[in-house]
Amino acid sequence: MSIQTASDVPMIELKNVNKHFGSLHVLKDISLSVKKGEVVVIIGPSGSGKSTLCRTINRLETIDSGEIWFDGAKLPEEGRELANLRSQIGMVFQSFNLFAHMSVLDNMTLAPTSVRRVPKAEARAEAMRLLERVGVGDQAHKVPAELSGGQQQRAAIARALAMHPKAMLFDEPTSALDPEMIGEVLNVMTELAREGMTMVIVTHEMNFARRVSDRVIFMDGGSIVEENTPEAFFSHPRTRRAADFLQSIQK
Amino acid sequence: MSGGTSIRDRLYEQPGPRTRRRVAAFTVVALIGLGILIYLIVRQFAEQGQLEVRYWDFFLKWSTWRFLLTGLLSTLRAALTAAVIAIALGFVMMRGKLQRNPVPRWIAVAAIEFTRGVPTLLLIYFFFLVLPRMGVNIGAFWRITLPCAISASGIIAEAFRAGVNAVPKGQTEAALSLGMSPLLTFYRVVFPQAIRFVIPSLIAELVIVLKDTTFAYVVSYADLMQKAKVLITSHDSLVSVYLVVAVIYILINYALNKLSDRMARRMNRTVAPAKVL
Repeated sequence: MSIQTASDVPMIELKNVNKHFGSLHVLKDISLSVKKGEVVVIIGPSGSGKSTLCRTINRLETIDSGEIWFDGAKLPEEGRELANLRSQIGMVFQSFNLFAHMSVLDNMTLAPTSVRRVPKAEARAEAMRLLERVGVGDQAHKVPAELSGGQQQRAAIARALAMHPKAMLFDEPTSALDPEMIGEVLNVMTELAREGMTMVIVTHEMNFARRVSDRVIFMDGGSIVEENTPEAFFSHPRTRRAADFLQSIQK
Repeated sequence: MSGGTSIRDRLYEQPGPRTRRRVAAFTVVALIGLGILIYLIVRQFAEQGQLEVRYWDFFLKWSTWRFLLTGLLSTLRAALTAAVIAIALGFVMMRGKLQRNPVPRWIAVAAIEFTRGVPTLLLIYFFFLVLPRMGVNIGAFWRITLPCAISASGIIAEAFRAGVNAVPKGQTEAALSLGMSPLLTFYRVVFPQAIRFVIPSLIAELVIVLKDTTFAYVVSYADLMQKAKVLITSHDSLVSVYLVVAVIYILINYALNKLSDRMARRMNRTVAPAKVL
């Protein structure tokens, strides 16, 4: 019998999660536990359910059965508790989703000032600090459309960080970027991982996954097919399907 | 030539040399045709004696113009009031229709379909003839303004809804993922962006409201049209007065449309069209 300390409580835990889109069973009995400070990468072919899985964690996708727990609390289904929980989970999207009608700086301060009631001046100072940190401090007063994709995505990461999240979800954060901009975004993410942020990352960047993750989840057809250390997964995967997938992406 | 790309630029490719020649030829032919048409109309008027001085000389008097301008002011006041009410009603109906709860949604749907389906004139008769019988007495101003507003509100509600639906879903998801409530998300993120899609159709609807106010004669509200009718009787000059009044209406509505173009273009400059991925 061991005593459970606070750090033993998983940051994110999915228990037997099922989801259907009509007749399509997109998540099949998924169970997954992410420890505090752990970086988990989810990979798999398109349509494998990896994005959906990522989006269920802050309930942007609902589930049909099963349970999702975040930092010892069950994910609420609606209302103030859900909003409160979401504010603790940062999310980064494939298409950046910066608010198109406001400056980058206003993007950064909107949620802290309106949800957390942080004073405007304080929120701005913090926003500038974060924007500097991801290298887009000089873009603060432009609207998102004036920034490059890489700059927008870095600003979007900074926007999520402004809420001081306990964990970050990345849903294919570099898939919409031109190749020369992928590196700058991955660098910011690597930095975050080093600082001990709990991260769930859906990505196709295999080198990044191998370098940064603590664990690799391979999904196919709505199920977790293989869970492995990055080293083992990329050099000698246990399952046939993972091996085939790795083969196929190596051209 | 405008600075930004117009819809035409986006829809059609640049014409080649042969197309340009053909366009030039058509332009010349069309201009000649138009000239002939205008000549025929003017000649017809002249033959019928419509160009005689007595039909036009009272337009040289300031009193005539002042008489018309007070009518124009009344028209603008009624149209503007109707537009504000219509926008407010339209906004409420749109919010209703976008609710998940079926009760407000069905009420909103019914209201939208009703206001879109009933002719403005019928609503005016209702306010003019039926309401007084029920003991409700409102002035002539409201008898024209309220029906015009109600009749425009459903269309405006649908325009708002189309604008809201045109805002990429990712904007909502990003706001929700930051812990913003659905209400906050709507007012701070979605609606401000929807507005820029809506403004052109909103102003188009304003033009229709303005034209609808010409029904004011039914309730004897002294708008531009009503004043024109008075001028026609007192000077026995149907064609000239109607022509002048038509030109006034066209100028106002043209100005409104120009305003709409300019606002749309300015919004597109400050906020580039959303990238839909």
